[in-house]
Amino acid sequence: MIRIGNASGFYGDRFSAVREMLTGGDLDVLTGDYLAELTMLILGRDRAKDASLGYARTFLRQLEQNLADALARGVKIASNAGGLNPEGLAEAIDRLGLGAKVAYVTGDDVRDRFPEALTANAYLGAWGIAECLDAGADVVVAGRVTDASLVVGPAAAHFGWRRDDFDALAGATVAGHVLECGTQATGGNYSFFTSIDATRPGFPIAEIEADGSSVITKHDGTGGAVTVDTVTAQLLYEIGPPAYLGPDVVSHFDTIRLDPHERGVRISGVRGSPPPDTLKVCLNQLGGFRDSTTFVLTGLDVEAKADLVRRQLESAIGAEDLTWTLARTDHPDADTEETASALLHVTIKTSDPKRAKAFSRAGIELALASYPGFHVTAPPGDGTPYGVYRAAYVPRSSVPHRAVLPDGEVVDV
Amino acid sequence: MRVPLGTIAGARSGDKGGDANLGVWVRTDAQYEWLRAELTVERLKELLPEAGEVDRYELPNLKALNFVLHGLLGEGVSSSTRFDPQAKALGEWLRSRHVEIPEELR
Repeated sequence: MIRIGNASGFYGDRFSAVREMLTGGDLDVLTGDYLAELTMLILGRDRAKDASLGYARTFLRQLEQNLADALARGVKIASNAGGLNPEGLAEAIDRLGLGAKVAYVTGDDVRDRFPEALTANAYLGAWGIAECLDAGADVVVAGRVTDASLVVGPAAAHFGWRRDDFDALAGATVAGHVLECGTQATGGNYSFFTSIDATRPGFPIAEIEADGSSVITKHDGTGGAVTVDTVTAQLLYEIGPPAYLGPDVVSHFDTIRLDPHERGVRISGVRGSPPPDTLKVCLNQLGGFRDSTTFVLTGLDVEAKADLVRRQLESAIGAEDLTWTLARTDHPDADTEETASALLHVTIKTSDPKRAKAFSRAGIELALASYPGFHVTAPPGDGTPYGVYRAAYVPRSSVPHRAVLPDGEVVDV
Repeated sequence: MRVPLGTIAGARSGDKGGDANLGVWVRTDAQYEWLRAELTVERLKELLPEAGEVDRYELPNLKALNFVLHGLLGEGVSSSTRFDPQAKALGEWLRSRHVEIPEELR
């Protein structure tokens, strides 16, 4: 059995979770997921400003405070905090001077094939991480590997799975899917939160067996709960058809069996089948500039008030690129001002930064010249760039998935 | 009697690019049989009129249905002008909608 914990579900998750997971009980491996479609865009903008960035900086600070402890306890660390620059993060961890053997996984950046994109990253699988661990790495940093690979890689290395051990790989993928969003598996964001103590859920752990089955649990004494319901909720997060495609295996979610276990939930029965020949690519492109404001419409004549302000703004800057939404949150004869008020949201999305500025100015200039009771929840700002996401697919054989081992050796995965 | 769907069903929702997914699950086999018959794509669209093209998948092993709401989020979270651009609360909206749930299933 290998005991794998997760301390992060996104870039910005609970900073102290790394410490909590290391000190709260036994672990073999600690993982951290820092990447999402939006995070890739944020890191892409970081990298555009400074090519030495592009990784999740909080992870480096977490290691600064906790890596010595992890080494002393013999807990390996695997994370995708490398983002767009795993090499840069690996070097920064080396510079902490703690003597950890650091390896990284690379090859996911396929911008050469999508020149219009700000970021273009193929979702790599688990085998690069497994190579790094086989070579004795204490810390493995990857870029855009699938979230579940952070769990599958260590399990595959530990048990010596082969690439066609599809049922075991699928079992570990499902465990990884449960862990990847941290406390969303242990009672965070949970529909039946009133039936548990959801004040401060502990982070999840998967105890994985050689056949890929697992027990989902958490450290003793932590908050939240691991039940068939909390695990079901997380299994349903961000999925499509029951045949869940991944770079290493197709995991069949309609074969998952969940059973209550004395320390949490047992997952078994998961069937896997060979993965597709293509890898999914996460593409982010700058779409233009956006800005928005929300007008508060209180009391009587809500529709007419909305019509007036809309007419005013559109005559000032033109109607194109504007999206209006009137939310009738108002109640008649209300006994609080807030519940007497409706919200009129307007957003501009434009390729012209000057037009975004004009929107802001026009919105502010209405302050004494519009509907009775005019005010906004926050004045429009200067506008910010926004990204457009799309997925693409490239042949697996065209992506140079590589592991760079602690001694610098480069291994094709 | 009409009661919120969330009386018996849990839900979790989120984003995949411009699509939203919405998983709904219940706790007993009898509830699942009812859910599977009740919550068709057409019924989901009645309950969530903002939905456009919808795919539905059955996961009887989890007593769950998974819906993919195509295009609800436009070109993804950074670009979307939707009130909830990552569809985080879509599931809780659905749970608050009132439906006829047989007394014995509550």
